[in-house]
Amino acid sequence: MAAPQVDLSVELAGLSLVNPVLVASGTFGYGTEYGELVDVGRLGGICTKAVTLQPRAGNPPPRICETPAGMLNAIGLQNPGVEVFIGEKMPALREFGVPIIVNVAGESVADYVSLAERLSDCADIAALELNLSCPNVKRGGMQFGIDGELTERVVAAVREATELPLIAKLSPNVTDIASIGEAARDGGADALSLINTLLAMSIDIDRRQPMLANVTGALSGPAIRPVAVRMVWEVAQAVDLPIIGMGGITSAADALQFIMAGATAVAVGTANFVEPGISGRIIDDLEDFCQQAGVACAADLIGAAHGSSDVEGLQ
Amino acid sequence: MYAQTTQLIQREQVGPGYHLLEFDCPQVAAAAQPGQFVHIRVTGDWDPLLRRPFSVMGTNEAEGSFQVLMRTVGRGTQMLAEAQSGTKFDIMGPLGNGFALPGPEGEVVLVAGGIGVAPLIFLATALREPGGSRYIRGLFGARSADDLCCWLEFSGVCDEFNAITEDGSTGEQGLVTDFLPPQLKRGTGCVYACGPALMLAEVARQCEGAEVPCYVSMEQRMGCGVGACLGCVIPTQADGTQRYQRVCKDGPIFDAEVVDWEAIHRGCTPG
Repeated sequence: MAAPQVDLSVELAGLSLVNPVLVASGTFGYGTEYGELVDVGRLGGICTKAVTLQPRAGNPPPRICETPAGMLNAIGLQNPGVEVFIGEKMPALREFGVPIIVNVAGESVADYVSLAERLSDCADIAALELNLSCPNVKRGGMQFGIDGELTERVVAAVREATELPLIAKLSPNVTDIASIGEAARDGGADALSLINTLLAMSIDIDRRQPMLANVTGALSGPAIRPVAVRMVWEVAQAVDLPIIGMGGITSAADALQFIMAGATAVAVGTANFVEPGISGRIIDDLEDFCQQAGVACAADLIGAAHGSSDVEGLQ
Repeated sequence: MYAQTTQLIQREQVGPGYHLLEFDCPQVAAAAQPGQFVHIRVTGDWDPLLRRPFSVMGTNEAEGSFQVLMRTVGRGTQMLAEAQSGTKFDIMGPLGNGFALPGPEGEVVLVAGGIGVAPLIFLATALREPGGSRYIRGLFGARSADDLCCWLEFSGVCDEFNAITEDGSTGEQGLVTDFLPPQLKRGTGCVYACGPALMLAEVARQCEGAEVPCYVSMEQRMGCGVGACLGCVIPTQADGTQRYQRVCKDGPIFDAEVVDWEAIHRGCTPG
């Protein structure tokens, strides 16, 4: 007898995803970089590398270094700018036939608004992910995401500017991430992404200087996973919005931790660099897990670790 | 480009901390061009996390294998240096752009610094293939005799060969770049170089002065290896525009004229 079909689909911010596995912003370029190696069409969706209004050269090298079960980066939002993104990156992204979530970053509220207006005119964008949490730029980025009032203000301003679903990407570099999630909700966000990277640093003791030219960097990879799971748990309890959970996911078991903590979908990040086909493997393994556990719909597992009564934010 | 599990066929220590690794991988052996690299995952686990990039030193299409030369610098390379024959490794490759082949005129000079010899051995081997009648002069510099690893392999594919060590323990004493100027006066058609950044900067400076085309193989800490993460950039300039380019995708081979050597000297800060 054939095993019963498992329904992996989830609804998120008005999007219907065929499965809950996305790739995280900054770890999958604009899709084509991995087109040769990965069946991109299987993904639940793609969160693009961050796009800014004007092209950005990014930070000087060295930009990355390895840390225990993780890595630091300080790319500095290198990207060709929104016009080149629309003209040269979107045509190829469209071809994958999966939801395209465009990550946008600005130095001011006006930047985010302009980006949202411009991208609203571009066909086939499923949602905007507001990058309120990049720790590697001098202006904008994380300064929004560590301040509840600013978070609410920028989300509200973008809300006025576009009808696209809005996903606010939260910074973990705060003492109370749930309150930032509430602020994003109050501003009109449709969903939350968490976590972005942790502000971190590493020193080369032979050269007696920081490992990165930017001095500080952004920690990602399996090392941050327990922090990320905890934060998804906290936000899920406090905020009635769907969550895209991320932070060091390398397997279906990792993804399930986020889902059971309250995430509707998950995003694979740094692991893409190491194992480009990992998202496909996670989709397969999620299906196997559900089959073996007798779970007909993966969505039934959202928030499963919370029990029944204490969860505000779960659908 | 391929991503697959391959087997380490042979590991040979070729100097203190230096190992020559041979992998069974017909696809990479058939596809790799001189200057390209492979990205090797050193563990099936997630720590150490990132893959390690290595220039291909040679291929054996009949055997379906390829070789890389490595130096132990940290945990990941230590794991490779201790790996037994038969161990499986996940490999992506061949990656990167490879060397542009020389124009029809003139001799070719290869300038190697230390472990930078690896891609130049592959290049010289390719230039000598049947039909190739290119006259190749090799300059190989290193700190000491211990660091002139695979010099026999290198000299074997050069028509002329000079070894140079900083401590004079083998060959001439000095820096490899001290011995380049006379070569550039001898009708050299093209220079290819791989080694430390400051060596490459000096090679590039001399070639520019002599109006000899020069291609360099650049190195940088690397993440994805396929151009997605933008982690491995170097500063470049062309047509007055300064920007960062990816070693993994736009390189690792760059025309020396486009590399922003001043920025590299300054600690890599363009603009």
